[in-house]
Amino acid sequence: MMKQTEEKLPEGFNAPADEKIKYHKAEHDKAANLNFMRRGGPPGPNMGLPVEKPKQTKQTVSRLIKYFKNEKKLLVFLISAVLISTIVSLFAPALQGSAIDIILQGKWADLYGMVAVLFAVYALSTAFSLAQSLLSAHLSQRIVSSMRYDLFAKINRLSIKYLDTHSNGDVMSRMTNDVENVSNAVSQSIGSLVSGALTVVGTIAIMFYYCWQLTLITLLTVIITVVVTKELSQAMRRIYKKRSELLGMLNGHSEEMITGYKSVVAYNKQQDVIEEFNKASDELTKVSIRAEILGGSMGPIMNCISNISFVIVAAFGGYFALKGMITVGIISAFIIYARQFSRPINEIAQLYGSLQTAVAGAERVFELIDQPDEDNSGNLPIKNIKGRISFKNVNFSYTPDKQVLFDFNLDVDPGQKIALVGATGSGKTTVVNLLTRFYPVDSGEILIDGVNIMDLNRDELRRNIAIVLQDTVLFSDTIEKNIKYANHEASDEEMTYAAHMSNCTYFIERLPEQYQTFLKHAGSSLSQGQRQLLAIARAILADPKILILDEATSSVDTRTEKHIQDAMVNLMKNRTSLIIAHRLSTIQDADKIVVMDKGRIVESGTHDELLKQKGRYYELYMTQFAGNAI
Amino acid sequence: MMSYLKKYWYWCLLAPVFMMGEITMDLLQPDFMANIVDNGVLKHNMPLILSMGLRMILLVMFGGVCGFLSGWASNIAGQNFGNDLRKDLFSKIMNLSFQQTDKISTGSLVTRLSNDVTQVQNMVMLAVRGLVRSSIMFIGGIFMLYMQSPKFALIAILALPFVILSVWFFMRKASPMFTAVQQKIDGINNIMQENIAGARVVKAYVKEDYELGRFESANGELCDVNLRVQSLLAFMGPCMNIILNLCVVAIILIGGITVKNNGGITTGEIMAAITYIAMILMSVMFMANIFQTFTRAKASAERINEVLSCGHIIRSGDVSESHSQGGEIEFRNVCFAYPDSGKRSVLENINLKIHSGETLAILGATGSGKSTLVNLIPRFYDVTSGEVLLDGINVKEYDLKHLRDKISIVLQKAELYSRSIEENIKWGKKDATPWEIKEAAQIAQADNFICAAPNGYYTPVSEGGHSLSGGQKQRISIARALLKKAEILIFDDSTSALDLKTEANLYKALNEKFPETTKIIIAQRIASVRGADRIVVMDNGKITACGTHDELLETSEIYKDIYYSQLKKE
Repeated sequence: MMKQTEEKLPEGFNAPADEKIKYHKAEHDKAANLNFMRRGGPPGPNMGLPVEKPKQTKQTVSRLIKYFKNEKKLLVFLISAVLISTIVSLFAPALQGSAIDIILQGKWADLYGMVAVLFAVYALSTAFSLAQSLLSAHLSQRIVSSMRYDLFAKINRLSIKYLDTHSNGDVMSRMTNDVENVSNAVSQSIGSLVSGALTVVGTIAIMFYYCWQLTLITLLTVIITVVVTKELSQAMRRIYKKRSELLGMLNGHSEEMITGYKSVVAYNKQQDVIEEFNKASDELTKVSIRAEILGGSMGPIMNCISNISFVIVAAFGGYFALKGMITVGIISAFIIYARQFSRPINEIAQLYGSLQTAVAGAERVFELIDQPDEDNSGNLPIKNIKGRISFKNVNFSYTPDKQVLFDFNLDVDPGQKIALVGATGSGKTTVVNLLTRFYPVDSGEILIDGVNIMDLNRDELRRNIAIVLQDTVLFSDTIEKNIKYANHEASDEEMTYAAHMSNCTYFIERLPEQYQTFLKHAGSSLSQGQRQLLAIARAILADPKILILDEATSSVDTRTEKHIQDAMVNLMKNRTSLIIAHRLSTIQDADKIVVMDKGRIVESGTHDELLKQKGRYYELYMTQFAGNAI
Repeated sequence: MMSYLKKYWYWCLLAPVFMMGEITMDLLQPDFMANIVDNGVLKHNMPLILSMGLRMILLVMFGGVCGFLSGWASNIAGQNFGNDLRKDLFSKIMNLSFQQTDKISTGSLVTRLSNDVTQVQNMVMLAVRGLVRSSIMFIGGIFMLYMQSPKFALIAILALPFVILSVWFFMRKASPMFTAVQQKIDGINNIMQENIAGARVVKAYVKEDYELGRFESANGELCDVNLRVQSLLAFMGPCMNIILNLCVVAIILIGGITVKNNGGITTGEIMAAITYIAMILMSVMFMANIFQTFTRAKASAERINEVLSCGHIIRSGDVSESHSQGGEIEFRNVCFAYPDSGKRSVLENINLKIHSGETLAILGATGSGKSTLVNLIPRFYDVTSGEVLLDGINVKEYDLKHLRDKISIVLQKAELYSRSIEENIKWGKKDATPWEIKEAAQIAQADNFICAAPNGYYTPVSEGGHSLSGGQKQRISIARALLKKAEILIFDDSTSALDLKTEANLYKALNEKFPETTKIIIAQRIASVRGADRIVVMDNGKITACGTHDELLETSEIYKDIYYSQLKKE
């Protein structure tokens, strides 16, 4: 042992140590983000949450405004409602003050009139603030829903390349998290911003009108409020951010351990995992307590300041009243105004944070919307496709530095069954990606019936090709809808026929509602093998001229696979089919077997021909069947 | 659940005590204000204003400090309560049996640990602080109002039923709507998820427009429900305002009339009354809020309790000494049925002896019970009847940890964690040296691709292992299992994503380096199992044949069938 440690570390262990640390940090950040996204729901007041700063505020805001332009009418109504309700509520304290003055001065005749006016003003203010909330709800919902629609429409048109190179979670979070942020900001901010600004200006104006000296004194207390709010909320933001990081870490850890729970148990790691969790949980608790105490101190401090400001106003007010400059009613009004004042300022300060988050969110949404659409050039229609496929000198790479296909040439006659075999990474699936125009070739061309596929109408091309992939995609819908996915108009007979052909019938008929069974969570209750069978049924029903099976039966046991194959012999008549498989048994009767290695075709021919050649295929075949595996 | 609070009872007690201080100050403050207005401002008594003002500020500061301390105490109680609960819940989850996690899905366990615990914790904090606060505010407010004038208290009492009624009305209406909103959001997310993850299928079948239509209708539904909730809630604020403002008007009116009739109410008192009545109504609304949190937290608490009250189904035995060279397994009349699956048995009367150092392969269709059989050895599940013996001792008698240390199992689904590859492999043995790790990886045929990765063994595995191919994930989890160096090694269909050559190399290396280990290999491919000492063919929960490859070709119809289906000889 000692001797070993003196030696150099084995290959693969030489990565710099700080890489390790960096990775952990990034991973944690990601966990925090993910978690934030999953919380869903409105985050509520944005006081303590970490605020994200947008990069291109101007452009983003002007694009956001475009969404408002479609809702001009609503917007005009909303702003007028806000204006009226704010103005009305501005006068309420003044009226209340007058009422008190009336009582003091004993002008009883005026009292009832005053009360009636007061009543009317309150009613008006209520009505308009109601209108304001209703309108802003409508506005925000309409804007957000059209934004959501735009975003989804774009996601639908994105290229496979984009989706392959970006994490699903990232794309998802733009819909769940970012749009939600915009929605919150829109619904909260417009009303509050307008009414807040108006309240501040209006209050100052009215106060100046009554007594400018007292106004200046009141403003002083307001400044104190603003400064304290700002300082406090900055401190809070920092600690809340730390807390949400820790929370994300904790949730990330526990989620991973719970979903990977079987391995934890299999390796007797429960104790270690629990200790790790407890440590993170304790740390979180410590920070949480600090954060909450700080957050909780906001209320009492504000309360203190507002009371101090009351005393100041009362004292100076009393002094001015003594001098006969103002009435007691005015003092009462001032006290209310001073309170009224700090509220919108607080609100605006908070809104600023949530607006920034919203703009940053919108920026990310727009960034996605700005992605180029999937290439849709070519408009030649496909008539009576025969199914001849040829690859001519095709070169392709996913990333510039790593070419995947080298000068790939392949001719497939109509109705032929072609098999692609080779190790993982040899480029088999890439051939499928190119044929379906999921990716464009770098050079060379792919022809169908002699026409370059780039010149064909893309959708028609795809309608003539059915693919079944290794990772089966099912939709959270009924089995019927899933089988009929390619053709919703298909009759039930066609559907049951397809199910029968693909050997699905035996398990579908055991389900409680058979074809009407709803697949929850995209069919997670079915086994991988059953899912693959359903996908095959779907492809059969699509009735394409070209059929591609990419490891489509890898999770089906071999006997069932054989049954499917027998059924598919009929299906593949008059169809060109391309089959990718690990199991050589699947493909022995293919018209042509193409052996690929590192992006090149190394051998091709029929099963017997290739065996005779004693080359790569022979080698593969022998490992599989000659029995030297174990 | 409340027993978790016991540890922090003094904090729970301190919080309301401090709060009393805070609230008393809150309640006294309008009275001071009235005093300042009536005796100071109105009577032009400047010194009184100042002295009363100073006293009031001091009082308020004292109240602030009390409020701060009360927050402090309730936070310590609430957060620590949440922490303890969370820790206990997690450790409980980690000790659940597979049978229990099958019933409560892992996804649901995750939400229980994060969401539900937060929910309950919030409720505790609210209860310790908010409930006490608002009830004292409420009672105190009415009392103070009464002190100003009994008539004012009457106004408040008259207004109360309306407040309670409208709060009750809104909550009753809104809560099912919130559930509906959540469902619609889930629906939209679901369509999104399907379209992103299944983009290839959507595009291949040219279903973009269909999906867009699906999304549009889901989006419209969400929009509708959202609007309904928001419209409903839009009425709540104004409703409360109307009641509040009506009270204010009533106070001014009645106060004015009383002043007129020399009823002994002062202007300051009217102003104070307005403040008190606002305070009372706010406390009612706040209480309503708390009750809403309560109902939500109650559901959460029930969900947490469901997990906490799960009994230990798999009880540990106490045998922990090892027999010489072990690894002998025997199934005696083993039957197994998953609980809650009706009576459908998965394994029927299995009798099988696996010798120490033997390589046993298990072959059979999906659902024939292969995985279940091996899951009984480390007691992931317990037999329904019969017994499983390890080195002659019933597995139920072993200390659970000891038992599982003897067995290394590679699961069907390779579960990797978002750490480095090195840490993932080391999962099986904490103190493994780099040399040991590399050796395990070499046997598992993983060393090559790991070394080719940018950071070698320190390359991170992204969440769920998305950055790795299926075969790479399987090889890493095999390396992890090998590093454990257990007496029994089980591969539960864990080489399905490897190409045949890699698989052959793996088994070759395995036989060279682990000749003594008992190996159980579940596989689909004949090639994988062909060289095993014995092959067991399973069908519908029964062992239908057992023997070497050549023997089975003679005797077993099913085996022959599988063999030819893979070999495709006519």
